[in-house]
Amino acid sequence: MTINSTSLAGIPPVAGPNAELVFRRTRILRLPRSPKVIAGVVILAFFGVLAIVGRWIAPYSPNATDEQSWVQHVLVPGTGAGTGFPASYYPLPLPPSAAHWLGTTVFAQDVWSQLLAATQATLFVGLLAAAIATVLSILFGVTAGYLGGGTDEGLSLVANVFLAIPGLPLLIVLADYVPSAGSSVLLVAAIIAVTTWAYSSRTLRAQTLSLRNREFVEAARVSGERPVRIMLVEVLPNLIPIVAASFLFTALAAIGAYVAIAFLGLAGSPSSSPPGLWNWGEMLREGFANNAVRGGWWWWWAPPGICIALLGTGLALLNFGIDEFINPRLRATGLSRRTAKKVGIGLRPKLGMTPVARHQPLVVLPNRSTTASTPSPVHDAAEPALEVRGLSVDYGYGDQAVHAVVDCDLVLRRGQVLGLAGESGSGKTTLALAAIRLLRAPALITAGQVLFYSKPISGDGPVGTVDMLSATDEELRAVRWSEIAVVLQSSLNALNPVITIGAQFDDLLRVHRPFLSPSARRARAGELLDLVGMNADRLRSYPHELSGGMRQRAMIAMAIALEPQVMILDEPTTALDVVTQREILEELTGLRDRIDFATLFITHDLSLLVELADEIAVMYAGRVMERAPAASLFHAPRLPYTHALLHSFPPMHGPRVPMAGLKGSTPDMHDLPGGCAFHPRCSWAMPRCHQEIPKLAPLDGSPREVACWLHRDDAIVPAELALPEPDVMKVRAQ
Amino acid sequence: MRALLRRLGVYILAAWVALTVSFLLPRVVPGNPVAGAVARATQSGNCNSACIMAVEEQLGFNVHTSLWDQYVQYWGNLRHGNLGRSWSENAPVSSLIVSYLPWTLGLLVVATVVSFVAGTAIGVLIAWRRGSWVDWVLPAATFFAAIPYFFLALVLVLIFGQTGTLLKWFPSLFGYDIYGVTPGLNVPYVASIIAHAILPAATVVLASTAGFILAMRNQMITTIDEDFVLVAQAKGLPTRRVVWYAARNALLPVVANFTVAISLVVAGQILVEIVFNYPGIGFHLYDALSKLDYSLVQGIFVVITLVVLAANLLADVAYVLIDPRARQMA
Repeated sequence: MTINSTSLAGIPPVAGPNAELVFRRTRILRLPRSPKVIAGVVILAFFGVLAIVGRWIAPYSPNATDEQSWVQHVLVPGTGAGTGFPASYYPLPLPPSAAHWLGTTVFAQDVWSQLLAATQATLFVGLLAAAIATVLSILFGVTAGYLGGGTDEGLSLVANVFLAIPGLPLLIVLADYVPSAGSSVLLVAAIIAVTTWAYSSRTLRAQTLSLRNREFVEAARVSGERPVRIMLVEVLPNLIPIVAASFLFTALAAIGAYVAIAFLGLAGSPSSSPPGLWNWGEMLREGFANNAVRGGWWWWWAPPGICIALLGTGLALLNFGIDEFINPRLRATGLSRRTAKKVGIGLRPKLGMTPVARHQPLVVLPNRSTTASTPSPVHDAAEPALEVRGLSVDYGYGDQAVHAVVDCDLVLRRGQVLGLAGESGSGKTTLALAAIRLLRAPALITAGQVLFYSKPISGDGPVGTVDMLSATDEELRAVRWSEIAVVLQSSLNALNPVITIGAQFDDLLRVHRPFLSPSARRARAGELLDLVGMNADRLRSYPHELSGGMRQRAMIAMAIALEPQVMILDEPTTALDVVTQREILEELTGLRDRIDFATLFITHDLSLLVELADEIAVMYAGRVMERAPAASLFHAPRLPYTHALLHSFPPMHGPRVPMAGLKGSTPDMHDLPGGCAFHPRCSWAMPRCHQEIPKLAPLDGSPREVACWLHRDDAIVPAELALPEPDVMKVRAQ
Repeated sequence: MRALLRRLGVYILAAWVALTVSFLLPRVVPGNPVAGAVARATQSGNCNSACIMAVEEQLGFNVHTSLWDQYVQYWGNLRHGNLGRSWSENAPVSSLIVSYLPWTLGLLVVATVVSFVAGTAIGVLIAWRRGSWVDWVLPAATFFAAIPYFFLALVLVLIFGQTGTLLKWFPSLFGYDIYGVTPGLNVPYVASIIAHAILPAATVVLASTAGFILAMRNQMITTIDEDFVLVAQAKGLPTRRVVWYAARNALLPVVANFTVAISLVVAGQILVEIVFNYPGIGFHLYDALSKLDYSLVQGIFVVITLVVLAANLLADVAYVLIDPRARQMA
């Protein structure tokens, strides 16, 4: 039994103006060379060749008998003395020999020749049935999905009805009642198709539904193309991968069905009139009906069965390969033994424990200035909680690795908010999650050090310095969440959809506060919801029953549940509307004042950070490019990139000026420009910027740091980047 | 609730379609189905005059009422549970089916439950421990999922069956030892039933489990990539709990596809019963076919269809129970 396990709904369609262009771009033709696909294709090719040339290489005709040659006879069971029937004999089946490669049957026929003929017929009928079924399922599925409405209801109902009716019994009934089913290949194929088309039509309909709303289909519709043409030219080519996968699956089912009804004697046999075809099921039927099993004549009944099993395996492997192609997650994790040893990590990356490359020395250079030791007006009272030095993170291994984060430093101080700003793809989330080793494969931490100075607020966390990158599983578990908490970006996916919020709180508290009783846990969960402005009744709700803002609040409540020392917030309000955003930010500020945790606030919205953060770091292409107190950064940016970002927001008052924006586009991390990664888009780029990468260094006499050649050596600083610092340095009121 | 009622509607409609097809087909197909059926019967036995008369009547040949009247009578009979009379066993079809059904249902329910539980558990294990030795289970599962049920049955008979030639551990014919034991509530009878059920059950379980393993593994791998699993791990939940979080979600599409799975398992079981001569409705369907006992064939078809549709309905109810999002829409 094979259940089609393909999650076929996730294919990105290829939008194209015409069918040929789409077909050429269709990636199905460039299947990866995985061993499964190769094995599957080899098996199928073998059977294909056999099917085509079978008749010509068969040494005998499948029906030919040669009773004279085989002397030994065997009594037919059920005849002879004591049974009331006259004794009759048939030739003893002979085991494989030189003359008969697979031996003979009880009718003195050559098994190998029968097998060849049977292969041809079985494959032919199976493929024909699959073709008819595929046409039917395309007809029903695509039409239903595209036209929608009443047509959809009607067609889907038909498909569901056929899906619900059990296949084999219906097939038996159909094959039994249709009198010439045995002799007509087309009829047999049609009957089989009737029972196997319904499953694929459902998948095709689902995919058509999602394609229907794409722009290129809308465009075609608006330009007046007829629906039939749209379906054939726009929609259908994008469905080719699914159609191919379901064709293979249906072919396997059809062959199985054909063999089954032949086994039951419903598909006609070569000795009936009108004569049917030799097929695998017929061979099995003859063997079974003539006691091949009890007689031990395995060469007669085993080969057809093995053929079916092999063909099924080949098709399944190919289907598997297509599955993996469509859904890349199903592929092997891509880490060969050699690569793993070269990089110095274990073969199987564990979930939630980002590997650290062992061959890199995790030593911090002694003359690197860490802002931890530099006092500044902002940082006076605040001591560091989490310190990141020289962290580098790659995605991928070896030569194809993408350097997502390169040589970054960060310091999070208690009671302070550090904002991390940058475009999508600049490496902000990677940096933050790498610090707590929460990145998924194929992430790899290649250099750096992360030190956590732990002073637990509550609970029994570790005290002292924890080296995050060399911590063991238990040490990380002791620190994560109870001392360092994370709020991810999309909270619906961060909550388990099938259990209530209360149950998820309970899981959390049960692990970290084992001394609490169930009612105490419930009470505490209620308190936490209260803290974020939610009603404690919400504990009984499921995540999908809450709005986006409430889910995010619930996530925040879970994050502060254990009174962590560090909070990492990854774009917590990006997906929310402005009003909710404001409310949540106020809650966060209140919580921070109450619990005094260090906060890392990641966002691409610089204006948000200006009033929320004490210090802001700006990232570009995986490097920290500027770091400054918030007010300084906002009023007097030193980095060209920051300057451009700030001037992308139209001011509320002042004279109207034309908006410049940032020219160019985000760099491709696989192919960064040489030197400073920003230079193609920079208005003040110098020749030096094309060649050398600027390092983050402090500006003379200030706590600010910037990575730009304009502020180095004797370069002339443009006026826009030399604005005076704001007069009043806002110190957060404690 | 509404979605469930719609599913119920679909099933009722499916039952109606199946029964009508089974009624109409022999009567509307061109040509002489009786002659074809009799010709087929000569392969496996003889069809005497009583047999020919019965076939004619059941297929609607030489019957002097209109098609519509026959149809109405057909449904009237069905409503009273009257499925006709079997000429070969000389008993009402419904009582015959009632005697066959427990054998099939016993085997089916046990096999389905065992294969579902084992299959999903193994699938979860394989997906969670990817990259280790468990990956070798995958090609084995693919192979077993591709083997036709009856072929696997033949192989098991050859190796383990007492009518085979190798180990001869387990009985491989009939539902119990019809020569040595008398039916009734006694220990030898029950022990014999269990012994005779081992090979058929093993066949169905082996082949079905493989399918569930593959489905669950693929679904689990996709689910493990979801954020909530990563967050659960980050929260410091014990590994068993994290796996449960993922598995509980991965189970949903597998249960949703149970409809297809049940059809395949039932189909497989019919063939397995034939190989083992196990006295369930599958075997008797085959038997009735070869004897041209059409009313028995029809009756068995009706019952199989209804059983499968009922199982599908149960699966739909179960899905609503385990997915809170479906509850809201239902």
